[in-house]
Amino acid sequence: MKRLIILSSLTLLFLVLPSTGISGFLDDLLKAPSPKKEQVPPPQEGSIEKSPNKESPDLIQGLGEAFGIKNKKIDLFKKGLGVVESLQPIGEEEEITLGEAVAVEAFSRFGGEYPNQEWIRYINLVGKTVAEFSDRPTLEYHFSILNSQEQNAFAAPGGYIFITVGLLNTLKNEAELAGVLAHEVAHVTHQHMLETIRRGAILGSVSDFTLSAMKKNPEMFSNVIDEMTEVLFTKGLDKEKEFEADDVGIEYAYRAGYHPQGLRDYLKSLGKEEGHTSSRFFTTHPSTALRISKINMLLGGYSDLQALPFLTKRFQQFLQTS
Amino acid sequence: MTPFDQTRKDTPLRSSSNMHRYLAIIIMCGGIFFLPSLSWSATLYAKQEGVKVTTGKSPTSAVVTKLKLGEGVTVLSKAGRLAKVKTAKGKTGWVFTFRLSSTKPKGKSGSGLSGLTGRRKIAARESRAGGSIRGLKESTEQYVKDKQIKQEHRDAVDRMEAFSVSSNELMTFKKAGNLGEFSGGAQ
Repeated sequence: MKRLIILSSLTLLFLVLPSTGISGFLDDLLKAPSPKKEQVPPPQEGSIEKSPNKESPDLIQGLGEAFGIKNKKIDLFKKGLGVVESLQPIGEEEEITLGEAVAVEAFSRFGGEYPNQEWIRYINLVGKTVAEFSDRPTLEYHFSILNSQEQNAFAAPGGYIFITVGLLNTLKNEAELAGVLAHEVAHVTHQHMLETIRRGAILGSVSDFTLSAMKKNPEMFSNVIDEMTEVLFTKGLDKEKEFEADDVGIEYAYRAGYHPQGLRDYLKSLGKEEGHTSSRFFTTHPSTALRISKINMLLGGYSDLQALPFLTKRFQQFLQTS
Repeated sequence: MTPFDQTRKDTPLRSSSNMHRYLAIIIMCGGIFFLPSLSWSATLYAKQEGVKVTTGKSPTSAVVTKLKLGEGVTVLSKAGRLAKVKTAKGKTGWVFTFRLSSTKPKGKSGSGLSGLTGRRKIAARESRAGGSIRGLKESTEQYVKDKQIKQEHRDAVDRMEAFSVSSNELMTFKKAGNLGEFSGGAQ
């Protein structure tokens, strides 16, 4: 009976704990020490984290010294933790820096920027509307059009999203555009590219992937960008990640108020070209037919779609008049 | 020893055992009744800074308050894409549900074990090349230089980052298309 009491009490304790301040305390313990405002160095060249370990005495150092453990052993332990840390999520600032370099590559490989500022404004309005209701609305998203007739769309980490003018010209309404952009936003919110390279050959062996490490080691930075562009432009992401982006993207388009059928409708018209046109889209994405069938199943789960618009007229007005 | 005697001898033990049983039942019942109010109450959190709580269902009706990122509200009722909420300060009003999240938004990702090793991963933003507000990050500039990528592509990213849409313009765009807060019949 005592066991029963202990078991009940423990169950109660474990269920209540997450809602108490204790879990917060544990989280705080794992967080990086937040530097005081006046201690943050001004944004100058080479001013970031020159030697962070020396600058801030950390928890392990403190505990080690308190127990009389030699510095060498502490350093060894910290190195081990560093390797484990490489499997931790990449910070947002690092993500944006990677995305920016990939964005330069996207312009470089796909004909540069499409020179129509009105169209760029339009896709930014649609893209930002979708991103506002995503799971990562605080990130700043940037949308642009690539001057390539090949049908394609990409998302670089950190919110850099591209659509080719070739793809844009095949769309019939704003819901289709929103569907394509929402799929790309989903790749960003779910950090699909980062997840892929984090397990890859280069980052898998790197223990320090901070902004300062990127700056100090341009070769490593360049290798990571090469790996990312290879995945993005040639190999393609994991099929499961593409299906997930379809699933999540449809939800984002729906939340933003678009008819979530947009992506499926675009894929249907694209599917007709499969086998007739050579596009990297087909080699970097799973079979269009399979995607359509999965999306059809997802759409069946939404019950209130009648009132949601496709905005065909507005789409045509924007693209024809500008 | 008669059965009667045996019964009498066991009584203190049995009553103690019963007491434990009652105690266990009370604890379990307590858990069942009190836990939902602690852990699974209908509290939702603002996904962004400045989420509007309005007096009426229309997104253009008067603003009661603006929620801070991560601020919790209690959902009183739901109507389509809107939720009637009560703030911690006791103010009630309507919010577009997709601006709220069932989980409290965390800070920027990537801290993890950094605290233990003393690294400050996101302590500072990487400076822009030349210390200017516009311009690419130093790592990107270096990369562009090393790879001999044309200036026009570097400039295209610069323009992409600098391109901004005002909140008023976005609001007008959404209203005209019945999107976001204006979707699902709300005007």
